[in-house]
Amino acid sequence: MSQRVAYVHLPRFPVQRRVLDEPRLAGQPLALVHEAKGVLRISFASGTAQRDGIRAGMTLTAARALLPALRDGLYDATAEAQALSSLAEGFLRFTPAFMLSAPDGLWLDASTASLFGGEAGLVEKVEAQARAAGYRARVVLASEPFTARALARFGAETRACVGPGGSERALAALPLQALEDAPEVVASLRALGLSTLGELSALQSTQVISRLGAQGLRAQRLVRGQDESRLLPAVLPEVVEEVRTLEAPAESLEPLLFALKATLDRLSARLRGRQRAAVRLTLTLVLEPTGPYPVPLALARPTTDPKLLLDLVRHRLESVRLDAPVATLVVTVDESCEDHGQQGVLGDAPAGDAALETVLARLATTLGPEALGSPVLADDHRPEAAHAPGPFRPPRREPGMFAEARRAPSMPPPPPDWQLERPLRLLPGEGEPIDVELDALGALRSARVLGRRRKVLAVAGPERLGGQWWTGSPFQRDYYRVHLEGLGPAWVYRRAGEGEFYLQGLFD
Amino acid sequence: MEAARADPAVLERLRERIRTLQAAPRQLLSVLRTGLAPVDGLLPGGGFPLGQVVELWGEPASGRARLAFRAIAEAHRALRLAAWVDGPRALYAPALPPLGVRLEQLLVVQPPEPKQLAWSALQLLRSGAFAAVGLDLTRTDVRLSPPESRRLVEAATRSGGLLLLLTPPEAPADGTLRLHVSAAGPGAMRVEVVRSRQGGVFRAVEVPWELLTPGGPSDTGAGSRGLDAPPVPAPPSMPFRRVRACTVRDGLVGIQGQRPGRDLPLPSFAQALGVGS
Repeated sequence: MSQRVAYVHLPRFPVQRRVLDEPRLAGQPLALVHEAKGVLRISFASGTAQRDGIRAGMTLTAARALLPALRDGLYDATAEAQALSSLAEGFLRFTPAFMLSAPDGLWLDASTASLFGGEAGLVEKVEAQARAAGYRARVVLASEPFTARALARFGAETRACVGPGGSERALAALPLQALEDAPEVVASLRALGLSTLGELSALQSTQVISRLGAQGLRAQRLVRGQDESRLLPAVLPEVVEEVRTLEAPAESLEPLLFALKATLDRLSARLRGRQRAAVRLTLTLVLEPTGPYPVPLALARPTTDPKLLLDLVRHRLESVRLDAPVATLVVTVDESCEDHGQQGVLGDAPAGDAALETVLARLATTLGPEALGSPVLADDHRPEAAHAPGPFRPPRREPGMFAEARRAPSMPPPPPDWQLERPLRLLPGEGEPIDVELDALGALRSARVLGRRRKVLAVAGPERLGGQWWTGSPFQRDYYRVHLEGLGPAWVYRRAGEGEFYLQGLFD
Repeated sequence: MEAARADPAVLERLRERIRTLQAAPRQLLSVLRTGLAPVDGLLPGGGFPLGQVVELWGEPASGRARLAFRAIAEAHRALRLAAWVDGPRALYAPALPPLGVRLEQLLVVQPPEPKQLAWSALQLLRSGAFAAVGLDLTRTDVRLSPPESRRLVEAATRSGGLLLLLTPPEAPADGTLRLHVSAAGPGAMRVEVVRSRQGGVFRAVEVPWELLTPGGPSDTGAGSRGLDAPPVPAPPSMPFRRVRACTVRDGLVGIQGQRPGRDLPLPSFAQALGVGS
């Protein structure tokens, strides 16, 4: 089966991106410039600037002379390519692979169209995704990469699908300018009085090769729908990271959050495209001039929801005191997991996760991240080292009827016998020594516990716990469950070879 | 899908079905049961009522925490989250799984300052993300002020969560429902309703200790038996590094590898401590 590819054309992508980052530039004449041989030249101009005669390739001086109100910014080809790649990762929700066509377009593998309501459905979804990210896009799906690209860039329709074998006819009306990779051929054809791709297609191949050579023949094959090039999937960067350099260093929370919103939107789209969900992130605020200030963010539940992430960041930043303005934001996903999504129940509001993340962020901010967690049992024989704090990552709640169905098998297995009689309260360290009174036979009669002497009502035990004999600090303890008058059962032990008693826990 | 779009009757049937599903009564939790019939029978709704502050008031070894965690286990069984604000920083996690508590669904908060205890519980309650929040004020010298108590009650009411407030004998709080929990000798614990808006005040029950932990031990037979007065003829005392015990310990049983020897009596304390004859 022949390949099917979709081309997404994002007209003046770097300008669109700049306006997205700084909405106040919308509708204003804007040009992005690059330096060539010591002269600043226009790389991209906004629609408003183009209407006033600004064109790519002009010097900035000439453009300023033509349009004094022209706003300009520096064009960074590498950063723009990265931004385009980030945007393309978001399309991985619909396609298994993409290939960049910097600076303003990309091809998508459209072999998955049947999963999205056919080719028209896929095109519609891709265009909608680009629109949701804030970009104007034109999407054309065809069998040949050239056809899809030429129609997206020079065609009249915003969305189109060209069936197999229909490329020649679809391309016929396009101007010769669509042969962007062969400017010499275009110039020669213009000199011959040709103006459309259809006219080139109609020429005899022998005439074309005799006048224009192999390059001309290749161009003719392209316009006849005989493009045999294949899509070469782009390699995804290992680390999901979004960098945003602020136009002016931010000194307050508001501009920072505005920039963060767009950054987290992009990050979330990339994660969704990869079908991953963030577990741990680091927000690095690059301060001017003091340098990076990392803010770690741990999530209780993996998520790709940008609103939730922004809420979390807002809560963390509200308590951060910075000694210098923020020049650049870097959001890095340190840990991610497979995203299984969340199926809502009819009538349920998906607000639970947001509330959970918000309260966790608030507590972590005020109390410190080490003050909250979920206990994890440790593989240690000593009771005082038998558990440790771990991150709080509760399993996602199953929707109603599925939860009911799965409740029975998801019950944890019954605990082993040795876990059954442990106190709920453990005194710090190895417990505290207690003063005991023994009778003539060595029976425990009373003990001074929690500030007063208490009569021993009953004793059960001993249970001998020992271990670490393979290390330099072995231990051997005999534990008793001692019922004390007016208190309840306590966990008391005596070290092997010692007479002293220690209170280590209370069976509250 | 195309057919469904074309057929209004199908659409109407689907709408009706959705309406029915949305209108159906949800399986909502209204109480969290302890699973102990005597205690649940004592409580007005058959368990700790959600949306209220339940105060468990008593000594630190009276079994209050065990009651609270049994209710939390009920929340976990309903796939809800719970939080525990650990004032004394003394919670021993290995004791929780036998009660049915799922550690991964339990958030433990240990504020560095005692004054942050009530604030933490308030935040957790207000979030509505937790079905039950425990606030343990035992041995913290913290006594909730009336405004703090009022805010906690309001937060519980609004969020529909349950606040389990563990208070020491010297510092009771203002729980909507207050239970006095105490040890009734070596055989049982005693639970008494001290305050309740729904009646039943001064009713009390006694619960055998062994019921508190499923499969737990019974100490009622222990009586006043001395540490070195075994009821059975004394076999030879267990040497500490016996081969069999080590084998079991290093095998499947873990710390409790010493279990084979736990019921064996030890040498007399009297000799070891140099008392008596």
